[in-house]
Amino acid sequence: MFESKAGILGIAGIGFFLFAFISNVWTPILMYKDVTEKTAEEVVNYRVMAHFGDLNRRYPEAFQEAFGEPTEENCAAALRLGRQLYIGEGCWHCHSQFVRPVSNESKRWGPVSTAEEYQNELQRPVMFGTRRVGPDLSHEAGRRSNDWHAVHFFDPPLVSPDSPMPKYTWFFDGAPNKPNKRGLAIITYLQWLGTSLDSYPYYEQVNADAEEDY
Amino acid sequence: MNEPGFLQEDAFPGNDPPEKKPSPTDEAKSARFRTRLTIVLAVLILVPSMYGFVGKFYEFVRIYRGDWEGSFAIAPMLNYLLASGGFLCLFFWATANRMFHDIEEPKHAMLDNEQRLDQQLGGKP
Amino acid sequence: MTSDVKPLLPRHDDLVNERLVAWYFLAALTFLTVSMLAGLLVALQLIRANPLDGVELLSPARWRMVHTNAIAYGFLANAFLGCLHWAIPRLTLRPVASVALSYFIFSAWQFVVVCTAAGIILGPSFQAQDWVAELASQLHISMSLGAQGVEWGETPFWIDPVAQLGLLLVAINFMTPIVRQRGPMYVSLWYFMAAFVWTFLTYGMGNFMPEYAVGGVSGGAVGGLFIHDLVGLFVTPLGWGLMYYFVPIMLKRPIWSHGLSLVGFWGLAFFYPLQGIHHFLYTPIPMFLQYGAIISTIAVELVVTTVVINFIGTIWGDGEVLKKNLPIRWFYCGMIYYFITCFQCALQVTLTFQKLIHFTDWVVGHAHLVMFGVFSMWIFGIMTYLFPRLIGRDWHSRKLCEIHFWFSAVGVFIMFLDLGLAGVFQGYYWASLAPWDVSVMGSQSFWVVRAFAGLMMFAGTLCFLVNLYLTWRGPVRELNPDIDVAPALA
Repeated sequence: MFESKAGILGIAGIGFFLFAFISNVWTPILMYKDVTEKTAEEVVNYRVMAHFGDLNRRYPEAFQEAFGEPTEENCAAALRLGRQLYIGEGCWHCHSQFVRPVSNESKRWGPVSTAEEYQNELQRPVMFGTRRVGPDLSHEAGRRSNDWHAVHFFDPPLVSPDSPMPKYTWFFDGAPNKPNKRGLAIITYLQWLGTSLDSYPYYEQVNADAEEDY
Repeated sequence: MNEPGFLQEDAFPGNDPPEKKPSPTDEAKSARFRTRLTIVLAVLILVPSMYGFVGKFYEFVRIYRGDWEGSFAIAPMLNYLLASGGFLCLFFWATANRMFHDIEEPKHAMLDNEQRLDQQLGGKP
Repeated sequence: MTSDVKPLLPRHDDLVNERLVAWYFLAALTFLTVSMLAGLLVALQLIRANPLDGVELLSPARWRMVHTNAIAYGFLANAFLGCLHWAIPRLTLRPVASVALSYFIFSAWQFVVVCTAAGIILGPSFQAQDWVAELASQLHISMSLGAQGVEWGETPFWIDPVAQLGLLLVAINFMTPIVRQRGPMYVSLWYFMAAFVWTFLTYGMGNFMPEYAVGGVSGGAVGGLFIHDLVGLFVTPLGWGLMYYFVPIMLKRPIWSHGLSLVGFWGLAFFYPLQGIHHFLYTPIPMFLQYGAIISTIAVELVVTTVVINFIGTIWGDGEVLKKNLPIRWFYCGMIYYFITCFQCALQVTLTFQKLIHFTDWVVGHAHLVMFGVFSMWIFGIMTYLFPRLIGRDWHSRKLCEIHFWFSAVGVFIMFLDLGLAGVFQGYYWASLAPWDVSVMGSQSFWVVRAFAGLMMFAGTLCFLVNLYLTWRGPVRELNPDIDVAPALA
């Protein structure tokens, strides 16, 4: 058995792999099977809509061309595209999306991440990340304004002098006040991260505006 | 520029001809040495690791006694212990069935084949 | 062999397709160069000295993914396939299933690697097109044209099935001679057999499950298992299998204990797959699973110790060889680094350590020591040994070979120490709640050292490439009357 090829293939090749798969993957799947996965439409809320509308007011021409009207449906489409860009442009290799219960992280970034935050279409695959060159982004929404993000993407050192972040000039048509579809989408995505939390302390003014508009 | 042959066979100082066999007493000595070395290494590795493992396990049991989440913390450990225990039993069973009676043979056969393959290529028997 | 009459062996030329081995090695070295250039680009970006910042197709973040994927699938996979085309036929005394299939796999695999790189670099540029969103809503899949969001599994979704099929063909091609072989098997073949199954299963798990089947935190558990298994069940068994083959034949003495090597095999098979979640400690993945992953990680270090002891036992009393024989020095240096990384691993998986070093450069240093310091160095050793036989010429210059060794070995160790230290600093900066910029500025000096360490490794590799070119251009030379001189590389 231990010296036969069938033994190696069966026990080591498949058996142990399955044992590990069941104990390390199947268990969490079973444990979280009752927490339903939300779609992008379901996670659109008034906070991200406030920023979406704000983008429409700031960059009307580009916005109309890219998304049309600032409706919830279009916002969901922008979130999907923004997330694809977040992955495709490799943002997740320098920014994490997960606040740990240690190392004073909840003081810096707000409440510790919970499983519910990740049960949605925009976290499939989950964007925990493995490296933090830049700050954690899981609660980024509302911390900074849309035009800050636009300038920052165009040339990070303009607003954050020591930043080693690369320029993302291809999110713009030549100037930081002319974001294109990709630029608008990724800013929308950033302004969505963490909007499902109860505490959303950094942008009260937008909250108040949003409830009027919405 | 062409410094000859640092990959060549004569670059191996340990390349003793295979005919030279050690005497039986030498072999018995080296076998005893190996057994002792194995036991020493096993003790050196196993004692501290078992000390750490049993200590941690006992700590878990104490902390979580009467707490249902505690059983969750101990569950994977028991899981692994049972699986490795079962594996160990299979191993003993296999040994009892004389499966490992000639376990060192393939390493000699492999080396033998290698040398013969290379000799064949040079056209020398 | 107990009987005196030995069966006639097949000829080496009928067993090994030397041209294919050489092609695999050349492809591997090409992708290694690409990957190192990508690494250099990212290193320059971090020290804010990237002259190409703002060029879309040279985006450091996209090239960061090219860097890792070119190493895993371009360099390591190609080099391993080349080595296997040499080792498996000679170990089993039978040729691979089909020469035509081998050439097909070779071209298919280069296609996969080039497509992966092209997808990662070009994909995001087309992501905003309307047809992408339309197709996505029609097909109900996330049409991520560029990278996918699983580390090491960034391979674009449209190339995944091809890669999966390629791995199946690789398994069939190499399993045929192994299955046909009779009698007790040598430990290398154990590792290879298991590795073919594991690589196939692991690739499928990581490249399909988190994207299509499992979302959220459970998807994170799959991702963790994948990044871990790719190192542990694809790279590690193939690497150790090759060591168990090349070390004895170069030392011309058998491995110290074949029984102990089988202990190492079963230990790796049992404990390695259980550790995936240790990459995501303190996440919402259930805590008891995190404990389980930590325990099995510490357990595997015991197994690693047995393997390293076995190899030290093999060379015991023959240490002089390390001075003279360059491949052996590559191998044993890699093993020492392997032991260091594994020892480090046993410490860094504990929750106490993770608190400080998770998300920092410590992990990056660890990864470089494993991938470059261990497995790439083993491959360089094998290449140093095999290239003269493959192209029928002795190395043009031993000095360049030596420079290659010392620059690689010292460079990667400097990088490892530097990034490890940087990680500790970063961990304390973050915990101290100092503004984020403080941690970035504090890392600058470490990143500068890292860039120079990387340049040192790159210089070593360039020496190797130059040496290879000069050797190839040089005159055919009889290596050794006992070793066949292969036809020159056409």
